[in-house]
Amino acid sequence: MLISLFFRCRLLNKQKQAGFLAMVLMLFLSLASGLAQSLETPQDGLAIGRQLLAEDNPGDLWTERGKRLFHSNRGPKNKSLETCDLGLGPGITKGAFAQLPRYFNDTKSVQDLESRLLTCMVEIQGFARAELISRRFGTLDQDSDIEALVAFIGSDSNNLPMNIGLSHPLERVMYETGKILFYRRSGPLDFACMTCHGETGKRVRLQDLPNMTKKEEIQQAVTTGWPAYRGTHSTVRTMQHRLSDCNWQMRLPDLNYASDLSVAITTFLNYSANGGLIKLPGVRR
Amino acid sequence: MKAITDQWVRGYRLGAIPLLLFFSACSQWTASFIDVRSNAETMVMGAYSATPELNQRAVQDPSQKICSLMPDESLTQDQMTFVTDAAKHSVSYPNSGHLTGDWKKGAELVADGTGQRIVNGQIEKLARNGALCNNCHQIDPKEVNAGNLGPSLVGYAKLRGRSETVIRYTYEKIYNAWAFLPCSNMPRLGANHFLTPEQIADVVAYLTDPQSPVNAP
Ligand code: HEC
Ligand code: HEC
Repeated sequence: MLISLFFRCRLLNKQKQAGFLAMVLMLFLSLASGLAQSLETPQDGLAIGRQLLAEDNPGDLWTERGKRLFHSNRGPKNKSLETCDLGLGPGITKGAFAQLPRYFNDTKSVQDLESRLLTCMVEIQGFARAELISRRFGTLDQDSDIEALVAFIGSDSNNLPMNIGLSHPLERVMYETGKILFYRRSGPLDFACMTCHGETGKRVRLQDLPNMTKKEEIQQAVTTGWPAYRGTHSTVRTMQHRLSDCNWQMRLPDLNYASDLSVAITTFLNYSANGGLIKLPGVRR
Repeated sequence: MKAITDQWVRGYRLGAIPLLLFFSACSQWTASFIDVRSNAETMVMGAYSATPELNQRAVQDPSQKICSLMPDESLTQDQMTFVTDAAKHSVSYPNSGHLTGDWKKGAELVADGTGQRIVNGQIEKLARNGALCNNCHQIDPKEVNAGNLGPSLVGYAKLRGRSETVIRYTYEKIYNAWAFLPCSNMPRLGANHFLTPEQIADVVAYLTDPQSPVNAP
Protein backbone atom coordinates (compact mmCIF):
# COMPACT_ATOMS: atom_id res chain seq x y z
CA MET A 1 0.00 0.00 0.00
CA LEU A 2 2.71 2.44 1.02
CA ILE A 3 4.82 1.33 -1.92
CA SER A 4 2.02 1.97 -4.36
CA LEU A 5 1.44 5.36 -2.78
CA PHE A 6 5.12 6.15 -3.19
CA PHE A 7 5.03 4.98 -6.77
CA ARG A 8 2.08 7.24 -7.52
CA CYS A 9 3.97 10.09 -5.89
CA ARG A 10 6.82 9.69 -8.31
CA LEU A 11 4.49 10.04 -11.23
CA LEU A 12 3.11 13.34 -10.04
CA ASN A 13 4.55 16.77 -10.49
CA LYS A 14 6.06 18.66 -7.61
CA GLN A 15 2.94 20.43 -6.51
CA LYS A 16 0.94 17.23 -6.42
CA GLN A 17 3.77 15.46 -4.66
CA ALA A 18 3.61 17.83 -1.75
CA GLY A 19 -0.13 17.40 -1.78
CA PHE A 20 0.18 13.67 -1.78
CA LEU A 21 2.57 13.59 1.13
CA ALA A 22 0.22 15.86 2.98
CA MET A 23 -2.62 13.50 2.20
CA VAL A 24 -0.70 10.60 3.69
CA LEU A 25 0.02 12.75 6.73
CA MET A 26 -3.64 13.71 7.00
CA LEU A 27 -4.74 10.08 6.69
CA PHE A 28 -2.35 9.20 9.45
CA LEU A 29 -3.57 12.08 11.55
CA SER A 30 -7.21 11.27 11.01
CA LEU A 31 -6.48 7.73 12.20
CA ALA A 32 -4.74 9.23 15.19
CA SER A 33 -7.70 11.49 15.77
CA GLY A 34 -10.02 8.47 15.56
CA LEU A 35 -7.99 6.85 18.30
CA ALA A 36 -7.93 10.01 20.31
CA GLN A 37 -11.69 10.25 20.01
CA SER A 38 -12.21 6.70 21.13
CA LEU A 39 -10.34 7.76 24.25
CA GLU A 40 -12.93 10.48 24.82
CA THR A 41 -10.80 13.42 23.78
CA PRO A 42 -12.52 14.53 20.61
CA GLN A 43 -10.87 17.10 18.36
CA ASP A 44 -7.39 16.81 19.83
CA GLY A 45 -5.95 14.66 17.05
CA LEU A 46 -7.47 16.88 14.41
CA ALA A 47 -6.29 20.07 16.10
CA ILE A 48 -2.72 18.78 16.19
CA GLY A 49 -2.99 17.77 12.54
CA ARG A 50 -4.25 21.18 11.54
CA GLN A 51 -1.48 22.91 13.42
CA LEU A 52 1.23 20.74 11.89
CA LEU A 53 -0.07 21.40 8.42
CA ALA A 54 -0.68 25.09 9.02
CA GLU A 55 3.03 25.50 9.61
CA ASP A 56 3.74 24.13 6.17
CA ASN A 57 0.52 24.62 4.28
CA PRO A 58 0.51 22.79 0.93
CA GLY A 59 -2.22 25.23 -0.15
CA ASP A 60 0.52 27.86 -0.55
CA LEU A 61 1.51 26.13 -3.79
CA TRP A 62 -1.98 26.79 -5.15
CA THR A 63 -1.73 30.40 -3.99
CA GLU A 64 1.49 30.82 -5.96
CA ARG A 65 0.03 29.26 -9.07
CA GLY A 66 -3.12 31.34 -8.72
CA LYS A 67 -1.07 34.52 -8.55
CA ARG A 68 0.76 33.59 -11.77
CA LEU A 69 -2.53 32.70 -13.47
CA PHE A 70 -4.09 35.99 -12.43
CA HIS A 71 -1.31 38.07 -13.95
CA SER A 72 -0.61 36.12 -17.14
CA ASN A 73 -2.25 36.60 -20.50
CA ARG A 74 -4.53 33.65 -21.09
CA GLY A 75 -7.63 32.45 -22.88
CA PRO A 76 -8.86 33.05 -26.45
CA LYS A 77 -8.47 36.80 -25.93
CA ASN A 78 -4.98 36.41 -24.44
CA LYS A 79 -5.67 38.81 -21.57
CA SER A 80 -4.71 38.74 -17.93
CA LEU A 81 -7.23 39.26 -15.13
CA GLU A 82 -5.64 42.61 -14.26
CA THR A 83 -8.78 44.40 -15.42
CA CYS A 84 -11.06 42.09 -13.47
CA ASP A 85 -13.05 44.07 -10.89
CA LEU A 86 -13.57 41.98 -7.77
CA GLY A 87 -15.35 44.85 -6.07
CA LEU A 88 -12.53 47.21 -5.17
CA GLY A 89 -11.58 48.26 -8.70
CA PRO A 90 -9.87 46.66 -11.71
CA GLY A 91 -7.14 44.19 -10.78
CA ILE A 92 -7.31 44.88 -7.03
CA THR A 93 -7.10 41.60 -5.18
CA LYS A 94 -5.94 42.84 -1.81
CA GLY A 95 -8.91 42.90 0.54
CA ALA A 96 -11.37 41.82 -2.16
CA PHE A 97 -12.27 38.51 -0.55
CA ALA A 98 -13.10 40.22 2.76
CA GLN A 99 -16.04 41.96 1.08
CA LEU A 100 -17.44 39.16 -1.03
CA PRO A 101 -20.18 38.31 -1.94
CA ARG A 102 -21.23 41.80 -3.04
CA TYR A 103 -23.38 43.52 -5.63
CA PHE A 104 -21.84 44.23 -9.05
CA ASN A 105 -23.28 46.89 -11.26
CA ASP A 106 -22.22 45.33 -14.57
CA THR A 107 -23.97 42.02 -13.94
CA LYS A 108 -26.73 43.57 -11.82
CA SER A 109 -26.36 40.76 -9.34
CA VAL A 110 -24.75 39.73 -6.09
CA GLN A 111 -21.75 37.50 -6.78
CA ASP A 112 -19.40 35.45 -4.67
CA LEU A 113 -15.73 35.14 -5.55
CA GLU A 114 -16.30 32.15 -7.78
CA SER A 115 -19.24 33.45 -9.78
CA ARG A 116 -17.35 36.73 -10.20
CA LEU A 117 -14.27 34.89 -11.48
CA LEU A 118 -16.47 33.12 -14.01
CA THR A 119 -17.73 36.50 -15.21
CA CYS A 120 -14.19 37.87 -15.57
CA MET A 121 -12.75 34.79 -17.24
CA VAL A 122 -15.61 34.73 -19.76
CA GLU A 123 -15.86 38.48 -20.44
CA ILE A 124 -12.18 39.43 -20.27
CA GLN A 125 -10.32 36.30 -21.29
CA GLY A 126 -12.95 34.80 -23.60
CA PHE A 127 -13.11 31.38 -21.97
CA ALA A 128 -16.31 29.40 -22.51
CA ARG A 129 -18.40 29.34 -19.37
CA ALA A 130 -19.36 25.68 -19.74
CA GLU A 131 -15.71 24.73 -20.18
CA LEU A 132 -14.71 26.61 -17.02
CA ILE A 133 -17.53 24.98 -15.10
CA SER A 134 -16.58 21.51 -16.28
CA ARG A 135 -13.09 22.10 -14.85
CA ARG A 136 -14.19 23.91 -11.69
CA PHE A 137 -13.03 21.13 -9.34
CA GLY A 138 -9.56 19.71 -9.92
CA THR A 139 -8.91 15.98 -10.20
CA LEU A 140 -5.67 14.04 -9.88
CA ASP A 141 -5.35 14.22 -13.66
CA GLN A 142 -6.40 17.80 -14.21
CA ASP A 143 -5.77 20.92 -12.13
CA SER A 144 -8.47 23.52 -11.71
CA ASP A 145 -7.44 27.08 -12.48
CA ILE A 146 -10.36 28.35 -10.43
CA GLU A 147 -9.16 26.53 -7.31
CA ALA A 148 -5.74 28.18 -7.67
CA LEU A 149 -7.20 31.64 -8.39
CA VAL A 150 -9.51 31.38 -5.38
CA ALA A 151 -6.58 30.33 -3.16
CA PHE A 152 -4.61 33.39 -4.34
CA ILE A 153 -7.44 35.90 -4.05
CA GLY A 154 -8.59 34.49 -0.71
CA SER A 155 -5.09 34.69 0.74
CA ASP A 156 -4.69 38.26 -0.48
CA SER A 157 -7.10 39.27 2.29
CA ASN A 158 -5.04 37.57 4.98
CA ASN A 159 -4.96 39.34 8.35
CA LEU A 160 -7.93 41.50 7.39
CA PRO A 161 -11.28 41.04 9.13
CA MET A 162 -14.22 39.69 7.15
CA ASN A 163 -16.25 42.77 6.40
CA ILE A 164 -19.46 42.27 4.43
CA GLY A 165 -21.42 45.49 4.37
CA LEU A 166 -24.83 44.52 2.97
CA SER A 167 -25.05 48.16 1.92
CA HIS A 168 -26.82 47.40 -1.35
CA PRO A 169 -30.46 46.33 -0.91
CA LEU A 170 -29.92 43.24 -3.06
CA GLU A 171 -27.07 42.17 -0.80
CA ARG A 172 -29.48 42.27 2.09
CA VAL A 173 -32.01 40.26 0.08
CA MET A 174 -29.31 37.66 -0.61
CA TYR A 175 -28.43 37.53 3.08
CA GLU A 176 -32.05 37.15 4.19
CA THR A 177 -32.70 34.50 1.53
CA GLY A 178 -29.53 32.63 2.48
CA LYS A 179 -30.65 32.62 6.07
CA ILE A 180 -33.99 31.07 5.14
CA LEU A 181 -32.19 28.47 3.03
CA PHE A 182 -29.93 27.60 5.96
CA TYR A 183 -32.98 26.53 7.96
CA ARG A 184 -34.90 24.99 5.08
CA ARG A 185 -35.47 21.25 5.39
CA SER A 186 -35.98 19.02 2.37
CA GLY A 187 -34.89 15.80 0.72
CA PRO A 188 -35.25 12.15 1.67
CA LEU A 189 -33.43 12.75 4.97
CA ASP A 190 -35.27 15.93 6.00
CA PHE A 191 -31.97 17.77 6.37
CA ALA A 192 -31.33 21.49 6.58
CA CYS A 193 -27.86 22.98 7.08
CA MET A 194 -29.14 23.61 10.59
CA THR A 195 -29.56 19.87 11.24
CA CYS A 196 -25.80 19.34 11.22
CA HIS A 197 -24.53 22.83 12.01
CA GLY A 198 -26.88 24.02 14.74
CA GLU A 199 -25.30 22.69 17.93
CA THR A 200 -21.81 22.74 19.38
CA GLY A 201 -19.87 19.51 19.94
CA LYS A 202 -21.79 17.39 17.44
CA ARG A 203 -20.28 14.90 15.02
CA VAL A 204 -21.39 12.92 12.00
CA ARG A 205 -19.34 9.75 12.52
CA LEU A 206 -15.97 11.22 13.58
CA GLN A 207 -16.29 14.49 11.71
CA ASP A 208 -16.68 17.54 13.89
CA LEU A 209 -19.53 19.77 12.83
CA PRO A 210 -19.02 23.49 13.36
CA ASN A 211 -22.03 25.20 14.95
CA MET A 212 -22.71 27.96 12.47
CA THR A 213 -25.16 29.73 14.74
CA LYS A 214 -22.22 30.64 16.99
CA LYS A 215 -20.00 33.54 16.00
CA GLU A 216 -16.60 32.03 16.84
CA GLU A 217 -17.35 28.74 15.17
CA ILE A 218 -18.68 30.22 11.95
CA GLN A 219 -15.72 32.61 11.85
CA GLN A 220 -13.40 29.61 12.03
CA ALA A 221 -15.33 27.83 9.30
CA VAL A 222 -15.37 30.81 6.95
CA THR A 223 -12.37 33.03 7.58
CA THR A 224 -9.84 30.28 8.31
CA GLY A 225 -11.68 27.72 6.21
CA TRP A 226 -12.47 27.95 2.54
CA PRO A 227 -10.57 27.95 0.16
CA ALA A 228 -8.91 25.09 2.05
CA TYR A 229 -6.26 22.56 1.23
CA ARG A 230 -8.17 19.28 1.66
CA GLY A 231 -5.85 16.45 2.65
CA THR A 232 -8.23 13.73 1.55
CA HIS A 233 -8.58 15.37 -1.88
CA SER A 234 -4.92 16.43 -2.31
CA THR A 235 -6.03 19.79 -3.63
CA VAL A 236 -7.41 23.15 -2.64
CA ARG A 237 -11.20 23.16 -2.50
CA THR A 238 -13.43 26.22 -2.55
CA MET A 239 -16.57 27.23 -0.67
CA GLN A 240 -18.67 26.22 -3.69
CA HIS A 241 -17.13 22.78 -3.42
CA ARG A 242 -17.78 22.61 0.32
CA LEU A 243 -21.43 23.49 -0.26
CA SER A 244 -21.72 20.86 -3.01
CA ASP A 245 -20.27 18.33 -0.62
CA CYS A 246 -22.78 19.12 2.14
CA ASN A 247 -25.56 19.21 -0.45
CA TRP A 248 -24.48 15.70 -1.54
CA GLN A 249 -24.67 14.48 2.03
CA MET A 250 -28.18 15.93 2.15
CA ARG A 251 -29.08 13.62 -0.77
CA LEU A 252 -30.05 16.53 -3.01
CA PRO A 253 -29.22 16.54 -6.74
CA ASP A 254 -25.86 17.96 -7.87
CA LEU A 255 -25.76 21.63 -6.88
CA ASN A 256 -25.31 23.91 -9.90
CA TYR A 257 -21.97 25.70 -9.71
CA ALA A 258 -22.32 29.37 -8.78
CA SER A 259 -26.10 29.03 -8.51
CA ASP A 260 -28.01 31.86 -6.84
CA LEU A 261 -28.75 29.50 -3.98
CA SER A 262 -25.06 28.90 -3.31
CA VAL A 263 -24.32 32.62 -3.47
CA ALA A 264 -27.19 33.38 -1.09
CA ILE A 265 -25.96 30.84 1.45
CA THR A 266 -22.40 32.13 1.11
CA THR A 267 -23.64 35.67 1.71
CA PHE A 268 -25.36 34.48 4.87
CA LEU A 269 -22.29 32.55 6.08
CA ASN A 270 -19.74 35.26 5.27
CA TYR A 271 -21.79 38.06 6.78
CA SER A 272 -22.29 35.97 9.92
CA ALA A 273 -18.49 35.58 10.08
CA ASN A 274 -17.88 39.34 9.96
CA GLY A 275 -15.00 40.43 12.15
CA GLY A 276 -13.17 37.11 11.89
CA LEU A 277 -9.54 37.48 10.81
CA ILE A 278 -8.92 35.92 7.41
CA LYS A 279 -6.19 33.25 7.21
CA LEU A 280 -6.41 31.42 3.92
CA PRO A 281 -6.14 28.93 2.41
CA GLY A 282 -7.35 26.82 5.33
CA VAL A 283 -6.32 23.24 5.91
CA ARG A 284 -8.96 20.60 6.24
CA ARG A 285 -9.42 16.88 6.40
CA MET B 1 -37.25 12.71 -20.52
CA LYS B 2 -34.96 15.33 -22.05
CA ALA B 3 -37.94 17.37 -23.18
CA ILE B 4 -39.38 17.34 -19.71
CA THR B 5 -36.10 18.53 -18.25
CA ASP B 6 -35.85 21.36 -20.74
CA GLN B 7 -39.38 22.35 -20.04
CA TRP B 8 -38.68 22.31 -16.36
CA VAL B 9 -35.59 24.47 -16.70
CA ARG B 10 -37.33 26.86 -19.04
CA GLY B 11 -40.20 27.08 -16.59
CA TYR B 12 -37.77 28.34 -14.03
CA ARG B 13 -36.14 30.83 -16.38
CA LEU B 14 -39.45 32.28 -17.42
CA GLY B 15 -40.25 32.77 -13.78
CA ALA B 16 -36.90 34.32 -13.05
CA ILE B 17 -36.74 36.86 -15.88
CA PRO B 18 -39.51 39.17 -14.71
CA LEU B 19 -38.10 38.88 -11.24
CA LEU B 20 -34.64 39.89 -12.45
CA LEU B 21 -36.00 42.77 -14.52
CA PHE B 22 -37.97 43.86 -11.55
CA PHE B 23 -34.82 43.70 -9.42
CA SER B 24 -32.58 45.64 -11.73
CA ALA B 25 -35.07 48.28 -12.80
CA CYS B 26 -35.67 49.70 -9.39
CA SER B 27 -33.63 47.65 -6.98
CA GLN B 28 -32.92 50.49 -4.59
CA TRP B 29 -36.37 50.66 -3.14
CA THR B 30 -38.07 47.45 -4.22
CA ALA B 31 -35.59 45.18 -2.47
CA SER B 32 -37.25 45.76 0.84
CA PHE B 33 -40.57 44.54 -0.60
CA ILE B 34 -39.22 41.31 -2.04
CA ASP B 35 -40.77 38.30 -0.41
CA VAL B 36 -37.57 36.53 0.60
CA ARG B 37 -39.39 33.30 1.26
CA SER B 38 -40.64 32.92 -2.30
CA ASN B 39 -37.27 34.22 -3.48
CA ALA B 40 -35.71 31.28 -1.63
CA GLU B 41 -38.05 28.85 -3.38
CA THR B 42 -37.19 30.35 -6.79
CA MET B 43 -33.51 29.84 -5.99
CA VAL B 44 -34.09 26.22 -5.01
CA MET B 45 -35.80 25.65 -8.36
CA GLY B 46 -32.76 27.07 -10.15
CA ALA B 47 -30.12 25.29 -8.08
CA TYR B 48 -30.48 21.84 -9.61
CA SER B 49 -30.53 20.58 -13.20
CA ALA B 50 -31.26 16.90 -12.67
CA THR B 51 -34.33 15.00 -13.87
CA PRO B 52 -37.70 16.27 -12.61
CA GLU B 53 -37.88 13.19 -10.42
CA LEU B 54 -34.59 13.99 -8.68
CA ASN B 55 -35.28 17.71 -8.55
CA GLN B 56 -38.46 16.83 -6.71
CA ARG B 57 -36.31 15.92 -3.70
CA ALA B 58 -35.68 19.60 -3.06
CA VAL B 59 -39.42 20.37 -2.91
CA GLN B 60 -40.73 20.42 0.64
CA ASP B 61 -43.66 18.37 1.92
CA PRO B 62 -46.02 20.17 4.34
CA SER B 63 -44.25 18.80 7.43
CA GLN B 64 -40.80 19.80 6.19
CA LYS B 65 -42.16 23.27 5.56
CA ILE B 66 -43.45 23.52 9.11
CA CYS B 67 -40.22 22.07 10.50
CA SER B 68 -37.99 24.68 8.83
CA LEU B 69 -38.17 26.94 11.87
CA MET B 70 -36.10 30.10 11.96
CA PRO B 71 -34.17 30.85 15.16
CA ASP B 72 -36.81 33.18 16.55
CA GLU B 73 -39.70 30.81 15.81
CA SER B 74 -41.19 27.90 17.71
CA LEU B 75 -43.89 25.37 16.79
CA THR B 76 -47.48 26.36 17.48
CA GLN B 77 -49.79 23.79 19.04
CA ASP B 78 -51.57 23.35 15.68
CA GLN B 79 -48.34 22.78 13.82
CA MET B 80 -47.21 20.25 16.39
CA THR B 81 -50.47 18.37 16.05
CA PHE B 82 -50.31 18.48 12.26
CA VAL B 83 -46.77 17.09 12.06
CA THR B 84 -47.37 14.42 14.71
CA ASP B 85 -50.65 13.25 13.17
CA ALA B 86 -49.18 13.12 9.65
CA ALA B 87 -46.28 11.09 11.05
CA LYS B 88 -48.54 8.67 12.94
CA HIS B 89 -50.65 8.10 9.81
CA SER B 90 -47.59 7.47 7.67
CA VAL B 91 -46.46 4.35 9.50
CA SER B 92 -46.94 1.03 7.72
CA TYR B 93 -45.83 -2.40 8.90
CA PRO B 94 -44.15 -5.46 7.36
CA ASN B 95 -46.52 -7.85 5.54
CA SER B 96 -45.41 -10.62 7.89
CA GLY B 97 -46.83 -8.65 10.81
CA HIS B 98 -43.55 -9.13 12.70
CA LEU B 99 -41.92 -5.93 13.92
CA THR B 100 -38.61 -7.65 14.61
CA GLY B 101 -36.52 -9.36 11.94
CA ASP B 102 -32.93 -10.58 11.66
CA TRP B 103 -30.60 -8.72 14.00
CA LYS B 104 -27.51 -9.66 11.96
CA LYS B 105 -28.95 -8.01 8.86
CA GLY B 106 -29.85 -5.11 11.13
CA ALA B 107 -26.23 -4.85 12.28
CA GLU B 108 -25.06 -4.41 8.69
CA LEU B 109 -27.70 -1.80 7.97
CA VAL B 110 -26.95 0.22 11.11
CA ALA B 111 -23.24 0.50 10.28
CA ASP B 112 -23.85 1.44 6.66
CA GLY B 113 -23.90 5.21 6.13
CA THR B 114 -24.43 5.25 2.38
CA GLY B 115 -27.32 5.28 -0.05
CA GLN B 116 -29.29 7.75 -2.19
CA ARG B 117 -26.48 10.25 -2.66
CA ILE B 118 -26.34 11.71 -6.15
CA VAL B 119 -23.26 12.27 -8.29
CA ASN B 120 -23.61 13.52 -11.87
CA GLY B 121 -27.29 12.76 -11.79
CA GLN B 122 -26.72 9.14 -10.79
CA ILE B 123 -28.05 7.74 -7.51
CA GLU B 124 -25.61 5.59 -5.58
CA LYS B 125 -26.84 2.14 -4.53
CA LEU B 126 -30.31 1.52 -5.89
CA ALA B 127 -30.59 -1.98 -4.48
CA ARG B 128 -30.39 -1.20 -0.79
CA ASN B 129 -29.66 1.85 1.32
CA GLY B 130 -27.71 1.79 4.52
CA ALA B 131 -29.76 2.73 7.60
CA LEU B 132 -27.30 5.53 8.56
CA CYS B 133 -27.85 5.00 12.31
CA ASN B 134 -24.13 5.07 13.19
CA ASN B 135 -23.76 8.42 11.45
CA CYS B 136 -25.64 9.87 14.40
CA HIS B 137 -25.84 7.25 17.18
CA GLN B 138 -23.44 5.19 19.25
CA ILE B 139 -25.20 1.79 19.31
CA ASP B 140 -22.67 -1.05 19.55
CA PRO B 141 -20.44 -0.05 22.50
CA LYS B 142 -17.42 -1.28 20.51
CA GLU B 143 -18.12 0.80 17.39
CA VAL B 144 -15.47 3.54 17.15
CA ASN B 145 -16.86 5.24 14.07
CA ALA B 146 -20.13 6.56 15.49
CA GLY B 147 -21.53 10.08 15.52
CA ASN B 148 -23.34 11.92 18.32
CA LEU B 149 -26.07 13.92 16.61
CA GLY B 150 -28.52 11.60 18.32
CA PRO B 151 -28.40 10.06 21.82
CA SER B 152 -26.42 6.88 22.58
CA LEU B 153 -28.48 3.72 22.16
CA VAL B 154 -25.94 1.43 23.86
CA GLY B 155 -27.69 -1.20 25.98
CA TYR B 156 -31.02 -0.29 24.35
CA ALA B 157 -33.07 -3.28 25.51
CA LYS B 158 -31.16 -3.75 28.72
CA LEU B 159 -32.44 -0.35 29.77
CA ARG B 160 -35.96 -0.54 28.35
CA GLY B 161 -36.74 -4.25 28.18
CA ARG B 162 -38.25 -5.76 25.07
CA SER B 163 -41.97 -5.67 25.75
CA GLU B 164 -44.52 -5.39 22.95
CA THR B 165 -44.76 -1.67 23.73
CA VAL B 166 -41.02 -1.08 23.48
CA ILE B 167 -40.79 -3.02 20.18
CA ARG B 168 -43.71 -1.10 18.68
CA TYR B 169 -42.33 2.24 19.85
CA THR B 170 -38.89 1.42 18.41
CA TYR B 171 -40.35 0.35 15.08
CA GLU B 172 -42.54 3.42 14.77
CA LYS B 173 -39.79 5.76 15.99
CA ILE B 174 -37.49 4.58 13.20
CA TYR B 175 -40.30 4.57 10.66
CA ASN B 176 -41.21 8.12 11.47
CA ALA B 177 -39.32 9.87 14.26
CA TRP B 178 -41.66 12.86 14.11
CA ALA B 179 -44.58 10.77 15.40
CA PHE B 180 -43.04 11.18 18.85
CA LEU B 181 -41.03 14.38 18.57
CA PRO B 182 -42.27 16.65 15.78
CA CYS B 183 -39.49 18.22 13.69
CA SER B 184 -36.66 16.44 15.49
CA ASN B 185 -33.31 16.14 13.72
CA MET B 186 -33.84 12.43 13.12
CA PRO B 187 -34.91 11.67 9.52
CA ARG B 188 -38.26 9.96 8.85
CA LEU B 189 -36.53 6.93 7.42
CA GLY B 190 -39.56 4.73 6.70
CA ALA B 191 -42.00 7.43 5.69
CA ASN B 192 -39.46 8.88 3.25
CA HIS B 193 -38.98 5.40 1.70
CA PHE B 194 -35.33 5.40 2.66
CA LEU B 195 -35.82 2.05 4.44
CA THR B 196 -38.41 -0.68 3.84
CA PRO B 197 -40.60 -1.99 6.68
CA GLU B 198 -38.62 -5.25 6.60
CA GLN B 199 -35.31 -3.40 6.96
CA ILE B 200 -36.69 -1.44 9.89
CA ALA B 201 -37.77 -4.70 11.52
CA ASP B 202 -34.17 -5.97 11.13
CA VAL B 203 -32.86 -2.82 12.82
CA VAL B 204 -35.43 -3.19 15.62
CA ALA B 205 -34.14 -6.74 16.16
CA TYR B 206 -30.59 -5.42 16.30
CA LEU B 207 -31.59 -2.92 19.03
CA THR B 208 -33.65 -5.34 21.08
CA ASP B 209 -32.32 -8.90 20.61
CA PRO B 210 -30.52 -10.22 23.71
CA GLN B 211 -27.88 -11.79 21.38
CA SER B 212 -27.09 -8.45 19.74
CA PRO B 213 -23.83 -6.74 20.77
CA VAL B 214 -25.96 -3.68 21.62
CA ASN B 215 -27.23 -5.54 24.67
CA ALA B 216 -24.00 -7.34 25.56
CA PRO B 217 -23.65 -7.74 29.31
C1 HEC C 1 -25.59 15.58 7.04
C2 HEC C 1 -24.80 16.55 7.68
C3 HEC C 1 -24.57 17.90 7.05
C4 HEC C 1 -25.46 18.79 6.53
C5 HEC C 1 -26.97 18.63 6.43
C6 HEC C 1 -24.71 19.95 6.13
N1 HEC C 1 -23.39 19.77 6.41
FE1 HEC C 1 -21.91 21.15 6.25
N2 HEC C 1 -20.56 19.82 6.94
C7 HEC C 1 -20.84 18.51 7.26
C8 HEC C 1 -19.61 17.80 7.51
C9 HEC C 1 -19.47 16.34 7.90
C10 HEC C 1 -18.57 18.75 7.34
C11 HEC C 1 -17.07 18.52 7.45
C12 HEC C 1 -16.58 18.61 8.84
C13 HEC C 1 -15.15 18.12 8.93
O1 HEC C 1 -14.54 17.85 7.92
O2 HEC C 1 -14.67 18.02 10.04
C14 HEC C 1 -19.21 20.01 7.00
C15 HEC C 1 -18.52 21.20 6.78
C16 HEC C 1 -19.12 22.38 6.41
C17 HEC C 1 -18.42 23.64 6.24
C18 HEC C 1 -16.94 23.87 6.47
C19 HEC C 1 -16.62 24.02 7.92
C20 HEC C 1 -15.14 24.08 8.19
O3 HEC C 1 -14.75 24.66 9.22
O4 HEC C 1 -14.37 23.59 7.39
C21 HEC C 1 -19.34 24.56 5.85
C22 HEC C 1 -19.08 26.03 5.55
C23 HEC C 1 -20.62 23.88 5.79
N3 HEC C 1 -20.45 22.57 6.15
C24 HEC C 1 -21.81 24.49 5.43
C25 HEC C 1 -23.01 23.80 5.28
C26 HEC C 1 -24.21 24.39 4.72
C27 HEC C 1 -24.33 25.82 4.29
C28 HEC C 1 -25.16 23.42 4.69
C29 HEC C 1 -26.52 23.44 4.09
C30 HEC C 1 -26.65 23.83 2.75
C31 HEC C 1 -24.57 22.23 5.29
N4 HEC C 1 -23.27 22.50 5.61
C32 HEC C 1 -25.26 21.06 5.52
C33 HEC C 1 -22.08 17.93 7.37
C34 HEC C 1 -23.26 18.52 6.95
C1 HEC D 1 -29.32 12.46 11.13
C2 HEC D 1 -29.27 11.94 12.43
C3 HEC D 1 -29.95 10.64 12.80
C4 HEC D 1 -30.00 9.45 12.13
C5 HEC D 1 -29.42 9.10 10.76
C6 HEC D 1 -30.71 8.54 12.99
N1 HEC D 1 -31.09 9.17 14.14
FE1 HEC D 1 -32.09 8.35 15.71
N2 HEC D 1 -32.16 10.17 16.63
C7 HEC D 1 -31.56 11.30 16.17
C8 HEC D 1 -31.84 12.38 17.07
C9 HEC D 1 -31.35 13.83 16.92
C10 HEC D 1 -32.64 11.85 18.11
C11 HEC D 1 -33.23 12.60 19.31
C12 HEC D 1 -34.49 13.32 18.90
C13 HEC D 1 -35.62 12.37 18.67
O1 HEC D 1 -35.99 11.61 19.57
O2 HEC D 1 -36.15 12.37 17.55
C14 HEC D 1 -32.84 10.45 17.78
C15 HEC D 1 -33.58 9.56 18.56
C16 HEC D 1 -33.64 8.20 18.33
C17 HEC D 1 -34.34 7.24 19.16
C18 HEC D 1 -35.13 7.58 20.40
C19 HEC D 1 -34.28 7.34 21.60
C20 HEC D 1 -35.11 7.25 22.88
O3 HEC D 1 -34.52 7.43 23.93
O4 HEC D 1 -36.29 6.97 22.80
C21 HEC D 1 -34.15 6.01 18.62
C22 HEC D 1 -34.68 4.67 19.15
C23 HEC D 1 -33.35 6.18 17.44
N3 HEC D 1 -33.06 7.53 17.29
C24 HEC D 1 -32.93 5.16 16.63
C25 HEC D 1 -32.33 5.35 15.39
C26 HEC D 1 -32.01 4.27 14.47
C27 HEC D 1 -32.21 2.80 14.76
C28 HEC D 1 -31.51 4.85 13.35
C29 HEC D 1 -31.14 4.20 12.03
C30 HEC D 1 -32.10 3.34 11.45
C31 HEC D 1 -31.46 6.29 13.58
N4 HEC D 1 -31.96 6.54 14.83
C32 HEC D 1 -30.95 7.21 12.68
C33 HEC D 1 -30.80 11.43 15.04
C34 HEC D 1 -30.65 10.46 14.06
